[in-house]
Amino acid sequence: MPMKLICAVKFVPDPDRLTAGSQGLILNPDDTCALGVALDVKSRDPGVTIEVVTLGPLSVRPHMEDLLRLAVDRGTLIWDPGLEDGDGFVTSRVLGRYIAGRACDCVLTGTHSLDGGSAQVPVQIAESLGLDQMTGVIRIDPDRFDRTRAVFQAMDETGVTIWEMAMPGVLSLTRESGYKLPYPALTDLRRDVSETLTLLTFRDLGFSAAEVGRAGSRIRVAAANPVTYGEKDPKIVGMDDEGITQVVDFLKKQGVC
Amino acid sequence: MDKEQINQTLGQLLSPSQVNTDTEDLYDASADRYKKYAKVRRVLDVPVPAAIVYPKTAEEVSRVLSFCNEHGVNVIPRAGKTATEGGLENWKENTVVMDALHLNQILKIDDYNMQATAQAGVPLQVLEDAAREKGLTTGHSPQSKPVAKLGGLVSTRSIGQFSTLYGGIEDMVVGLECVFPDGHIARIKNVARRSGGPDIRHIAIGNEGTLCYITEVTVKLFRFYPENNRFHGYLIKDMETGIQVLREVMVNGFRPSVARAYSEEDAAQHFYHFHQGRCVLLFMSEGPKGIVDATGDAIEAAAEKFKDGIIEPVDSNLIEDWFNHLNWSQKDIDDEMEGMKENDAHAGFTTEISADWETIPKIYNRVMQRIRQEYPRAHDLTLLGGHSSHSYINGTNMYFVYNYRIHCAPEDEMRVYHHPLQRIIVEETLRFGGSMCHHHGIGKFRNEWTREEHGSAYYMLEKLKQSFDPNGIMNFGTIFPQADGKKYQQ
Repeated sequence: MPMKLICAVKFVPDPDRLTAGSQGLILNPDDTCALGVALDVKSRDPGVTIEVVTLGPLSVRPHMEDLLRLAVDRGTLIWDPGLEDGDGFVTSRVLGRYIAGRACDCVLTGTHSLDGGSAQVPVQIAESLGLDQMTGVIRIDPDRFDRTRAVFQAMDETGVTIWEMAMPGVLSLTRESGYKLPYPALTDLRRDVSETLTLLTFRDLGFSAAEVGRAGSRIRVAAANPVTYGEKDPKIVGMDDEGITQVVDFLKKQGVC
Repeated sequence: MDKEQINQTLGQLLSPSQVNTDTEDLYDASADRYKKYAKVRRVLDVPVPAAIVYPKTAEEVSRVLSFCNEHGVNVIPRAGKTATEGGLENWKENTVVMDALHLNQILKIDDYNMQATAQAGVPLQVLEDAAREKGLTTGHSPQSKPVAKLGGLVSTRSIGQFSTLYGGIEDMVVGLECVFPDGHIARIKNVARRSGGPDIRHIAIGNEGTLCYITEVTVKLFRFYPENNRFHGYLIKDMETGIQVLREVMVNGFRPSVARAYSEEDAAQHFYHFHQGRCVLLFMSEGPKGIVDATGDAIEAAAEKFKDGIIEPVDSNLIEDWFNHLNWSQKDIDDEMEGMKENDAHAGFTTEISADWETIPKIYNRVMQRIRQEYPRAHDLTLLGGHSSHSYINGTNMYFVYNYRIHCAPEDEMRVYHHPLQRIIVEETLRFGGSMCHHHGIGKFRNEWTREEHGSAYYMLEKLKQSFDPNGIMNFGTIFPQADGKKYQQ
């Protein structure tokens, strides 16, 4: 029987965006690789089904629709103003409960988030589902990836290791994997996919307001002390080789590079 | 005639070394920077030309054009290859690209009569450097100056960054030599001014290779006073304030060499070190000291008049430094090409329009509104803004700039992104009575609006084409709409 894959993804602020108004979003690069490997698996076996689930604001809707214009079968956007300001624990619980209600052979996620996350969400999703999880995945062997097991390579600071894990499980990719999304066909770009995108709120998943958002978060902000920057002697350098050298030397001195 | 026969004849008309049939060079010659992304990803959908030829004299140009005219072979004139609007893109199987590589001589720098004569293939930077050695300047400084060549600049009706003082290329060209499809070589003499009938320089200037091949140009020279340069910069509340200050300076009779207003987004792109999320207004004044001082005073007075919209001045050293590093070199172009091989992104696109003072803010606001409301891929935009950079007594230009993350196949990029964005800009500009093309030329992808751009005067343009190029061999599809070319546009 073909595999059922769920990709839990996050849309993060686009660091290259200069447009005014609402903040631009992109699919988190590690999560892009997670979806990329799922689509690669499906390209080898069209019977594989892929669902993408995310938790975020309604502004991610056009981005989710773009994913559905690839070979993704179903998308779910969990949104609600009450979810705002929730920590990773709340996010993990919400996503975990949603995924628990779906038939799934493997959950694919990114390892890190571009917007400075703590990389705890994939681990906590696995915990809530009672599944094994591995971070730093850079390659999944397509010939040894099925409903019972996955053989894959994972990278950490010591090097690359080949692992075998029983499925279902959670595999978290990194951008070093190089998996990319395919280009949508021009006709698909104009396709109405609204029917394959499901919008849910936390109440649809049986949560109360006290369990989500800031109220449900385990992390509390004890105090906030705004940083005050002292006036320093500004030094203006030219955009020439000499100026670049001065900037590099300065950054080195600061330990930045 | 097939390509082989064409190339055989070209080898007889010129020398074999002047006929290039290298596969990679022909691929490069099949499109310009308009389809830069598709080109670098090797998915161009246009035919490759039969050959690139490198004539050394006007007589050789004449021989090749006569042959092509007789046998219906399309000719694309080419110089510095910095075209951005498809003017160098090939839409015909039987095409000869005529490159000005060997027309590379500066013929005369006349510092008494303040004019310089150079062949079409002389890079503007080379001519400018030669003029500077005599304390002079051409006054022409497009961003492409290090790469662009005189023939291309004149044939596309180019404009430079100091145009508000020196004018566009059409204000600089004194005389020129050009060759028509029937082989006729025409020389327009160099005089200060004359009333000898219509100004026939303008048949060649801006013809975009659709009427004739320009072989030689004489341009004006100006005294260069870099020691007197003054710079002014301001953070401003909105584009309307910027346009108002620009207008105030211009209508009071002053001609700063640079006068620009940037939207917040465009300012963030250019002035990352001081924009503070605001619009930016900046000026450069140059020339004799008395004129510079008077112009500087006028700029300050204009800023004072509209002080409610001025947030704070910018250190003039920052403005000066920015200007000194504005041009893009061949290395910049090559770096962008390399980047596009790996990334689903490039350095963005622009569409430049013009209108009178009253209309320009209306066009700008309407375009921004429509793109944000109507464009289905607005969520892929990483930059959407604009700047006014060339002002006149009666109006100014607007340089719309936009960039985006590319979420489609390279061959679909123009259809998905640039074309629909450009369509909105052109539609709104024409609707308000502006011009859809301020200084890049029409090229091949705005030709569907050429009739609307010119209105009843299109009659004159059409008659020129019929008269000088009756067989339609000159740069098929550029300026003039062609039914056979639509397949490459859609």
